[in-house]
Amino acid sequence: MKALFYLTWTSARNRFLGAFRRVRSPRYAAALIVGSLYIWSFLFRSPNRGATADFLLGRPSQTLITLLMVLTLAGAWVFGADVTALAFSQAEVSMLFPAPLSRRQLIGLKLFRAQIAVLINTLIWVFVLRRGGNLLPSPLRAVSLWILFSTLNLHRLGAALVQAAWKQHGRIGARRNRYSIAAFAFIGLFIVAGLVVHRSSYLGRGIGEFFSGLSDVLSSEPATIGLYPFHLIVAPTFARSIAEWRWAVLPAFGMFLLHFLWVMRTDAAFEDAAIEASAERARRVEAFRGRRSFGTITGPKTERSTFRLAAKGHPALAILWKNMLCLRRTVQLRLFIGPMAMAIAFGAAVASAGGDTAGFVSVTAATFALMMVVFGGRLIRNDLRHDMLHLPMLKSLPVAPSHVVFAEVASAALPMAALQFVLVVISYFASLLAERQPIPASIRLAVVVASPIAVLAINGALITVQNGMAVLFPAWVRLGSGVSTGVEALGQNVLAMMANLVTLGIALVPPMIVAWTSVLLLNASRGLSLAFVLIVASIVLAIETYGAMRFLGRALNRVEPLQTI
Amino acid sequence: MISAQGLTKLYGDFTAVRNVTFDVAPGEVLGLVGPNGAGKTTSLRCLAGIITPTNGTITIAGHTLDDDPIAAKRALAFIPDEPHLFEYLSVEEHLRFIARMYGVPDVDERLPVLLGEMELNDKGLSLPGELSRGMRQKLAIACGLLHEPSALILDEPLTGLDPAGMRRMRATIAARAARGAAVILSSHLLNLVEELCSKLLVLRQGACVAYGTMDEIIVAHPELSGLSLEDVFLSLTGETGSSSGAEAP
Repeated sequence: MKALFYLTWTSARNRFLGAFRRVRSPRYAAALIVGSLYIWSFLFRSPNRGATADFLLGRPSQTLITLLMVLTLAGAWVFGADVTALAFSQAEVSMLFPAPLSRRQLIGLKLFRAQIAVLINTLIWVFVLRRGGNLLPSPLRAVSLWILFSTLNLHRLGAALVQAAWKQHGRIGARRNRYSIAAFAFIGLFIVAGLVVHRSSYLGRGIGEFFSGLSDVLSSEPATIGLYPFHLIVAPTFARSIAEWRWAVLPAFGMFLLHFLWVMRTDAAFEDAAIEASAERARRVEAFRGRRSFGTITGPKTERSTFRLAAKGHPALAILWKNMLCLRRTVQLRLFIGPMAMAIAFGAAVASAGGDTAGFVSVTAATFALMMVVFGGRLIRNDLRHDMLHLPMLKSLPVAPSHVVFAEVASAALPMAALQFVLVVISYFASLLAERQPIPASIRLAVVVASPIAVLAINGALITVQNGMAVLFPAWVRLGSGVSTGVEALGQNVLAMMANLVTLGIALVPPMIVAWTSVLLLNASRGLSLAFVLIVASIVLAIETYGAMRFLGRALNRVEPLQTI
Repeated sequence: MISAQGLTKLYGDFTAVRNVTFDVAPGEVLGLVGPNGAGKTTSLRCLAGIITPTNGTITIAGHTLDDDPIAAKRALAFIPDEPHLFEYLSVEEHLRFIARMYGVPDVDERLPVLLGEMELNDKGLSLPGELSRGMRQKLAIACGLLHEPSALILDEPLTGLDPAGMRRMRATIAARAARGAAVILSSHLLNLVEELCSKLLVLRQGACVAYGTMDEIIVAHPELSGLSLEDVFLSLTGETGSSSGAEAP
C-alpha cells in the first residue's frame, strides 16, 4: 500500500514541479498570470456573487440538486454505471495489475486518487458559495461539500463494481451483492410509487405548475421515504445555521461511511472491467480533446461516395482535397447546435412574434451567418491548426510552402464562406416574402450581391490570422485534437484569442479606410454604393491576406518539427 | 545522387550533427549506423528537407536542397521510423494523395501492384486507426515507393514488420537499388546493414567516425581486421571503450 501512496505522491509532486519549472519561461509565466487573473475575476470579482450563492443555497436548489443526484445515480443503476469509474491509466494497468496487490488495495488507490479531485471541487465550491447570505462558516461548508462529493464518488464506484460483478459472474455476482441491489431497488420503488400515485398533481398542467407539482410530490410520502438517504447526504451543504449543520452532519457522515464499507466490501473481480474501462476512458479523453471540431472519424467504408482526386493537377489541390475529407469525416455537427439555437432564438424574438414565418427565417439565417463569422473559425479547423502535427510529412512534400499555406487556409475558409453565402441568400429571399423588413430593399440587395467576395475575403483573413498563430507561435495554439489543461493553458488561450482579435483589427483598418473614402467619393444610389464599397473593401482585405499568406509560407519553411512538439 | 557536404546542425549550443560529408551514387546503399543520439535521424531529416541544416550543402538528384527544394524533394522519398499518417485518410486515399503530390499519372495501375506488394490489398478503405503497427509501416513504405524515387532514405524501415514483411522489405530495398536508386538506410539491425549496404557511415556524437566500404574502413583501421560488423561498430563508436579514433573523410 505504501508503494501506491508513493506513486500518487510522486505523480502529484512531479506534476507540480513540472508546472513550476515551466513558469520560469516568460511565455508560461505570462500565461499563468493571465489565467490566474481570469480565474480570480470569475471566482472573486463577480458583482452578483452573493446573490448567486444565495440562489445556489436556497431550498429550491436543494430540491433540484437532490433530484438531479437521484436521476444521475438512478441512471447508473438502470442504464448501466459509468464504466470509466473503474478506469486506471494505461501505465497503471500494465504495472499495477500484474503486481502482487489485492483488489481491495487497487480500489483503495482509486478512492485515494479520487480524493484529489474531490478536494479541488470542494475548494472551488467553498469559494463560490462563501459570501452567500447564510451564516455557515467556510470550514463547515467545506466539510459538508467533501462529504457530498466523496459519497457521490463512492456511489459511482460502487455501482460500477456491482455491475461488473453481475456482468462477469451472472446470478452469482448479483447474489453476492443482493443487499445493495435490494436497497437501491427499494429506493427506486418508493420514488416511482410516489410519482405514479400523485401523478395528477403534475401531469396535464402548464410548465410552471408541472415543476411545482413535481416538487410537491417529491416532498410528500411515499417519495420522501425513497429520497430520505439523498436528503441526508445533501442536508449539511444546505444548512443555513451552525445548529442546523450540527444536526445534519452526523447522518451525512454515516451515509459516507456506509458507502465506504459497501465499496470496500464489494466482491467483484473487476480487472477485466477496469481494463475495458481504461480503454473507454482513453477513447473519451481523445473525443473530449477533440470536442471543438474533431470527434470519432467516420471511415470511407461508411460513406456513400468519396470524391476522387485526379492524378494530374497542381499538387496544392491535393492538400485541399485531403482537408475536405478531414472536414467531412471529423466535423461534429453538434457543435453548430449552440450558435444555431442562439440564431433561432434571436430570429424568434425579432420576427416571429406576429407569426411572420418568412421574417423569422430571414433574421435567423442572417444571424446564423454572422455567428459563423464569429465562431466558424473555432468550429472548423481542418487547416494548419491540425496539420502542424504532420509537419515532418508536409515539409518533405514537393510543394512550395506558400502553396501549402494557401491550400490550408482555403480548406477551412471555403466551406465557411460557402455556408455563409447560402445563409445570406436564404435570408435575402426570405426577406422578400416577409411581412415587414426593417432593412431597406436596396441595402439587402447590395449585401447579397457583394456577399460572394465579401465572405471569401473575411473568412480568408480570419483563417489566415488563426493559421498564422499556429505557424509563428505553435506553442501558444491548440494544435490538432490535443488540449492542455491548467491555469497557464487557460491563460494561453486568453492571450491567443486577444492576439487574434488585435491582428484582425489591424488588418481591417486599410479596408475600412478605403471603404470610407469610397463612400465619400461616390454619388451613386445608396444600395449601389454599399455593394461597391463592400466589394472594394473585400478586395483590399484579400490583397492583405495574400501578402500575409506569402509571409506565412516563408515562416513555414523556417519552422522545424521540434518547435511544434 | 545524394550528396551531403559539411552537413552541420546545431540546436542552440548543442551540436547534433558536425561537419558530415558523404555521397551515395545511383545503385548504392549507404548504411547509416551509430549509437542512440549519434545524430542519425537529424541527418536524415536534414536530407529530407524537414529541418534546415545550420551549415553544409545537400544535393539530391543534382538539385541543391537550398536552391531548388521542390525538384530535390520530387526525386526523394523519406520513410521515417514512426509512420506519419493522416488519421482521416484511408490507405488508398493516402496513395492517391501522394500520387498527386509527386505527379504519378498511372496511379490507377500502380496502386493495386503496390498494395499487393505490401499485403494491403483488402485494406484499401481502412483508416490508419484500423491498421496494426506493421500495416501502418507498410503503408508509409508504399507512400514512399509510389513515385519510384531515385533517392530513398529509410529510417529503421523494418520496425513493426512481421518476418515475412521484413524479408519482403529487404528484397524491395535491394530491388530499388538494383534499378538505380540511391539508398540511405539507417538501422540498428547490423545484419540488415551488412546484407544490404555497399557503404557504411558511422556516426558518434554527431560526428563521422568512419565512412566507406567495409574494406576501406578496414584499410583505414587495420586493428579491426577480422572482426564482425558488430565488433567493428562497437569499436568505432567506443561502446566497448576501445574507440579507434577513425578519421572522417
